[in-house]
Amino acid sequence: MSEQAAPGIVAAAAATQRRMRFGFLLNLTLLGLLLLMWLLLTLSTDSFATYGNLSNLARQASLFAILAIGQTFVIITAGIDLSVGAMVGLATTIVAVLLTSGWSIPVSVTATIAVGLAVGWVHGFGIVQLRLPPFIMTLATMTALRGIGLLVTGGQTIGGMPLAFGRFSRESVLGIPDLFLAVIVVAVPSYVLLHHTRWGRYLYAVGSNREAARLSGVKVNRTIYLAYILSAGLAALVGVLTASRIGIGVATTGEGWELQAIASSVIGGASLFGAVGSVAGPLLGSVLLTTINNGANLLNVNPFWQRIITGGLIILIVYFDQLRRSRRA
Amino acid sequence: MSDPPILELRKVDKHYVGTYALKQVELAFRPGEIHAIVGENGAGKSTLIKILTGAIPRSSGIIRWRGQQVALATPLEAMAHGIDAVHQEVLLCPHLTVAANIFLGNEHTRFGLLRHRAMVRAAQRVLDELGFRLPAGALLSELTIGQQQLVATARAATRGTQFLIFDEPTAYLTRQETDQLFRLIRRLHQQGVTIVYISHRLEEIFQLAERVSVLRDGALVATREVAATTERELIRDMVARNIEEIHYKENIPRGAPLLEVEALSGPGFADVSLAVHAGEVVGLYGLVGAGRSEFVHAVFGRTRATAGRIRFKGAELRGHDERIAIARGIALVPESRRDQGLCLNLGVGFNLNLPVFQRISPGGLVDAGAERRSAAKQIADLRIVAASQGALAATLSGGNQQKIVIGKWLNHGADLFIFDEPTAGVDVGTKLDIYKLFAALLRRGAGIILISSYLPEVYDLSDRLHVFRRGRLVASHDAGTADAETILSEAIGV
Repeated sequence: MSEQAAPGIVAAAAATQRRMRFGFLLNLTLLGLLLLMWLLLTLSTDSFATYGNLSNLARQASLFAILAIGQTFVIITAGIDLSVGAMVGLATTIVAVLLTSGWSIPVSVTATIAVGLAVGWVHGFGIVQLRLPPFIMTLATMTALRGIGLLVTGGQTIGGMPLAFGRFSRESVLGIPDLFLAVIVVAVPSYVLLHHTRWGRYLYAVGSNREAARLSGVKVNRTIYLAYILSAGLAALVGVLTASRIGIGVATTGEGWELQAIASSVIGGASLFGAVGSVAGPLLGSVLLTTINNGANLLNVNPFWQRIITGGLIILIVYFDQLRRSRRA
Repeated sequence: MSDPPILELRKVDKHYVGTYALKQVELAFRPGEIHAIVGENGAGKSTLIKILTGAIPRSSGIIRWRGQQVALATPLEAMAHGIDAVHQEVLLCPHLTVAANIFLGNEHTRFGLLRHRAMVRAAQRVLDELGFRLPAGALLSELTIGQQQLVATARAATRGTQFLIFDEPTAYLTRQETDQLFRLIRRLHQQGVTIVYISHRLEEIFQLAERVSVLRDGALVATREVAATTERELIRDMVARNIEEIHYKENIPRGAPLLEVEALSGPGFADVSLAVHAGEVVGLYGLVGAGRSEFVHAVFGRTRATAGRIRFKGAELRGHDERIAIARGIALVPESRRDQGLCLNLGVGFNLNLPVFQRISPGGLVDAGAERRSAAKQIADLRIVAASQGALAATLSGGNQQKIVIGKWLNHGADLFIFDEPTAGVDVGTKLDIYKLFAALLRRGAGIILISSYLPEVYDLSDRLHVFRRGRLVASHDAGTADAETILSEAIGV
């Protein structure tokens, strides 16, 4: 009797394996695309394959990558965090204000990240307790956080931070920019969290079927809090790193970065419907996006065109991804 | 017999604004028994399960678990006591693997890290022991609904559950999967687990249960020993209707051929020939995965046939898609009405008019009067019970949702109706309504293809019955020319 069921089951197992291979292949395809772009840029410009340009690219990509990893946690729960760009801006002003008022670097950095975590908690509160849709909740804080940053600084640019603070973003270890090392410090624990802890499981479970997760005894609310706290906390970290890099605190920093983060995550294979996403995806996605911008700069493409091209490429990449997914289904 | 009850409900109420879902329910479950609960849709069975599993809080009343009063405020608390449920509509995470679902909320970890391999191995061991032949590493979304149900059961079995509620577990299962599930239930029973079994299929209750409680309109009607009752008595308790009426069928003369299919092949089926005439019900019986749904999808144009011919009302249908099929007058009432048939968060009237907005929107503007009249006609004709046309489809009972899906196509004026498991998870009273609706369709000169995994239903209702096995049509019978055992063995292939 059970023999009748066997073919279907073998097919299911094979499909699962195929799916895993596809996930791997997607990343390989993105990697291939990235390498191709690098090759073409190396051949067509003198300035691309220089240490200066590459380390600059790595620094910029690092900021987006950390932001995108945080965003991915939220996207996996079928949510969205539109406020991360604003959080970056606010964090640059907070860390700058604290440092210029004489607080030490560790205290200022810790306090800034704590503010980020608190903002994430507020998102969780709005989404869980007040039952606001994530889009609305974070759209509201997206504008409110900018307002707070402008209020705190009176709309001014805060400069004059200690030299030591700027050093981190400029220095390198063995030729690798410290900022890039920061990505690794974020990505590795993120990977472990997502794939090797029960909290990671719960993020996927909540995104896949919230009711099923709840009835399985998963603490759904805490899981949602976790995702938004991580996202906002990482955004605050990016804010600190950005302040270190540009040497000033400006409330308008990071305008549009939320879209970069979401795009990186989605290009990297995350699904806005939830339960699909990885850590490697947003890493590749952010490097890809940064390369496109960097290459366009080097090729003297009109910056207005750059935006159009970036938008078009996002549509194209995600379309091909959808195509592949539907073929496999 | 003299054991104190393992779980006892005293005067349990659940009310929503204006209505009662449960009224003063008094129930006591004996340790280790299989206790069936029956009742029509809306009788309060689902509410009862939700309260017992902590999914929703009760409004008032006392629940005692092993003699102690308990709150049962959260699923976690219910599970901590050892109370769990297997739901009719599988509540698992489609994006996770079988093993991850089995251990969801209950993961094995070491130093805070998941023990992936250990969990897959443990899950596989449980599945093998239960005789399921399912790979623990497969993604849940790649299994059939029946297989997912087995996973849900295996999951409950791994959690040291002492009190397990099955809510209509066989609604979507094949005969073979049902047998597997029953073996598992008996096994859990032998291990001393108390089992609550909810089903519309009364014969299952006579196979499995020791006692049966009947709910009607949120109140307990009676608790009876199964050995001392009859289907007739239970049905009287539930609805006060006669059992003979349930598979309602009228004698309607057969008309001209509507659909003629010759040697049709496509994904999942091969070489199928059959005809449907006006005024007849053509039943397709087989195990799930036998190719029945795949066949009708090709007729409907959802998938492309690779060989063979389809003639509909005398004209060839070739390379058609769903839109063409609908325009020609073929309607498919899908198996999963919640996912495929309805816009749940929109109104009843909106759903009913969805296929005909073109007709009631001259010049692109919706004619509000025509919209209202068109919906009102179907609501009256089909006796759809809804607060208003604006009531959300999600708020209606399963049977009424089914009526909306049918009403949609009636509105559109289809000639051939394909019903894929129309009565899965529907109560006796609504079933009768649906069968009467079939008769009304046939009287208008429509033809019906009825896919059902419930043999008594297709057997009693079909004028001609075709049996599918592994993608092929293996036998055809006129009404009453073969007995049920023959048909079943043709479907299974013994």
